[in-house]
Amino acid sequence: MMTGVLVAVGFVAQLAAGTVPPRGEAPAGATAAASSRPPTRSVQQTLPQLDVSRFDSLTLLTLRAQLDLAIENGLPTAPLINRALEGAARRASGAKILQVVRDHMAAMAHARDVLGAKSSADELDAGASALRAGIDMRTLASIRDTRPAGSAVIPLTVLTDIVRRGVPEPTARDAVAAISKMPSSDEALRGLQSTVAKNDFRGPGMAVEALNRYLRGTISGANPLAAPVSPDRKPNRPPPP
Amino acid sequence: MTDRHVLSIQPAEADDGDVAERVAALYASTPRPTAEQIDRCVRAVRAGSMHAPVRRSPFGIPATAWWWGAAAAAAVIVATTTPWQRLATRLQTDSTAVTAAVNAAMRGTVTSISGGAVEFDVVLPTGAKNVAIVGDFNGWDAKASPMVRGRGNTTWSARIPLAPGRHTYAFVIDGERWIVDPLAPQVEGDDGYGPANALVLAAPSS
Repeated sequence: MMTGVLVAVGFVAQLAAGTVPPRGEAPAGATAAASSRPPTRSVQQTLPQLDVSRFDSLTLLTLRAQLDLAIENGLPTAPLINRALEGAARRASGAKILQVVRDHMAAMAHARDVLGAKSSADELDAGASALRAGIDMRTLASIRDTRPAGSAVIPLTVLTDIVRRGVPEPTARDAVAAISKMPSSDEALRGLQSTVAKNDFRGPGMAVEALNRYLRGTISGANPLAAPVSPDRKPNRPPPP
Repeated sequence: MTDRHVLSIQPAEADDGDVAERVAALYASTPRPTAEQIDRCVRAVRAGSMHAPVRRSPFGIPATAWWWGAAAAAAVIVATTTPWQRLATRLQTDSTAVTAAVNAAMRGTVTSISGGAVEFDVVLPTGAKNVAIVGDFNGWDAKASPMVRGRGNTTWSARIPLAPGRHTYAFVIDGERWIVDPLAPQVEGDDGYGPANALVLAAPSS
């Protein structure tokens, strides 16, 4: 009885202060289900505060319920809070915010199934973004195979970006997986992303062509993963009369 | 009017000379009008040629029928063409075009600085009053991290302390337009709120 009163007083004080962390982050709010699961790395991270003043009461209540559900399922809440805050900053409706948070939570659960329970919160966040971008779960598994747990954030981020820019998923998967197996490959992956992004503006198919050129230059003896859309050489023009 | 005033002319049969003779004979046989008839006719013609006094409404607007007809026609034209809607559409199109142009022409650089800070620089082709960077590091608050205007009024920069890991961010121009660096890694799409940039900071090697 006394404990309940103290918890209620504490919640009211936090509400008056304008910030209420998810219940699961408070000692009194940790559920038995959450304590039985292996904690993810998000627990050790600096957790963002859920600014209650940015949401209406109904959205806030539903959001808190979703965060509680995420904690019960052992999912990190920091990416979900960020998605909610981003939606509020973009002046999205409450329904849209809840939909995005719900979809992202479901995608993180799928990503954890593929990437493994030892995956970091950043990996789950990047994996969820990849799945929501339409990337197949088997592709995520192949990326995981190239990197140990905790270090697949950059490959997943690069993969998501170049697929969004029009590179076919099998081509992007093979390229990222090939580079990820190299030692100190993070910089090479950043270079791949930069090359594809710069050539994406040149026209359709230019991103794939640039990827093939970059891959041939990065990995010696690498075969083109896809037929180039246009030849590298300049077009032959007829001589002036 | 009597039957003799009726002039039957058959165009296919009569020629011009015959018609002229018949008209002259008819005019000569017409009885001369009296002075009273002439005076009445002159007064009628003068009354018809004089302008009627213009009636005005209480607001000083001429109350003639033609004026109200013109006003009604103008109202119908304005209501059907709705020039203000075309103006709003043009403004919206211009805004969209400006955003697209800004997205296409802006250039951003991210420089990692020793001490756990990251410097963001963006070059905007159009003049902006203020630019802010928002992201998961400041709760997506457009007022938390304003960028500093650099040289040429087109370069904006901000130095943000960031922990190693994955961060998402975007730029807000004049508190309204959200833009992303087109060359930096992007996440999300149409199913979310819109694109945002992603940045992965490696932990410092020990």
